[in-house]
Amino acid sequence: MSGHPTRPEDFDLYALGVLEGEEKAAIESHVPTCAECANTLAEARGRITLLAFSAPRVEPSAAVRERLMGQVHASAASAAARRATDEPERAGGFFGRWWAAVLVPVGVVLAIATIFLWTENAHLSRELARQRANLEEQKKQLDEARHMADLLEAKDTVSVALAVQPGMPKGDVRVRYNSKMGMAVCDGWVEPAPANKSYQLWVVPMEGKPISAGVIDRGGPINPWMMKLPQGMAAKAFAVTLEPEGGMPQPTGPMVLVGPVS
Amino acid sequence: MSGHTGVELRASDAALIQKIVGRDESALAALYDRYASLLSSLLNRILRDTQASEEILQDVFYQLWRNAAQFDPARGSLPGWLAVIARNRAISRLRRHNPSEGGELLETTVIVPANLENALAQQQLLGRVKGALENLSSEQRAAIELAYFEGLTHSEIASKTGDPLGTVKTRIRSAVESLKRNLSS
Repeated sequence: MSGHPTRPEDFDLYALGVLEGEEKAAIESHVPTCAECANTLAEARGRITLLAFSAPRVEPSAAVRERLMGQVHASAASAAARRATDEPERAGGFFGRWWAAVLVPVGVVLAIATIFLWTENAHLSRELARQRANLEEQKKQLDEARHMADLLEAKDTVSVALAVQPGMPKGDVRVRYNSKMGMAVCDGWVEPAPANKSYQLWVVPMEGKPISAGVIDRGGPINPWMMKLPQGMAAKAFAVTLEPEGGMPQPTGPMVLVGPVS
Repeated sequence: MSGHTGVELRASDAALIQKIVGRDESALAALYDRYASLLSSLLNRILRDTQASEEILQDVFYQLWRNAAQFDPARGSLPGWLAVIARNRAISRLRRHNPSEGGELLETTVIVPANLENALAQQQLLGRVKGALENLSSEQRAAIELAYFEGLTHSEIASKTGDPLGTVKTRIRSAVESLKRNLSS
């Protein structure tokens, strides 16, 4: 048996895994024979293990838990089946062997069925969640379509044609606006925007700064697009400006199209 | 740290271990919820591969399910034990070695100088560990990380960094002394 390591940090270095050759062998030969050093090594392992906390946080996916519990459930079912078959076997005799012959395949089938059902259940749960999300999205689209139809049919909806400003890209953009409903629908087309630029639509209120109504990406045809305006806000005009790609909180670029609310 | 004592911590983990021994699947789920995030972070840091990390994470907890009867909570910390197993397996995979046998690891005792039972305690410990690492020089910290997260020995670190072996040994020894001072209390 070798003596105690002379330097207390040797245990931490061993736990860290950096020791090699004789230094490593000295610890490995001594610790099993010395309770005091075994305890010191356990404490060193604990300290070194705390380094795990410096790793950036990464949450495991929910699927790992599902797979683990499925694996555990199947192994428990299989073990139960084995126990059931072992008992008659220990009892011996014709009936023991007969039951074993029946229960072993039954246990295997049960274990396989458990894994299958667990997997199927997880699959169905995911599918259900996806279908619910689709349904919510469809409801949202339907609501928007209804609101859009209401706005277009309302007698007090006004149509605002946005005029192209001199020297600006060509376009034909129209906004249907209903102040009572607090909604507007925009459609039309505009020439493609220059590289790294986006068109941005603004509502110009009677009072205060313009409010962004959305970004029209890089131009081209504009699908009918509904905007909900802040409650109680009356629009004085609608305008389109050319902004850095992705849009800005307030207009910074040239005005491309503008139309007053009559 | 939280108001839990070490005895309460062990009793709580120990109670769950006893339930696992009695084949209570919900007890394993509870321990998974308590420590999976810590192990997942460690595994991803070592392997930088989500799929491989998740395979080992599942495997470590399945090993706990199969061998719970052999784990003695009186001999050490369960999260420490799980982290040692997870690190060992990840380093083995990283270096394309065969993983160690579970039986050897069952003999491993790990005494963690902190309460790891709840998320708040884990969060507080995170701050303490970060503080201890910030006390190291950048060279010391890099060497410790190469050792802990990549499983490199003194000479492998010297080879990787191009520093003389003696310099690497001195650097790591002084880093370990500093960590010991800051993490033992």
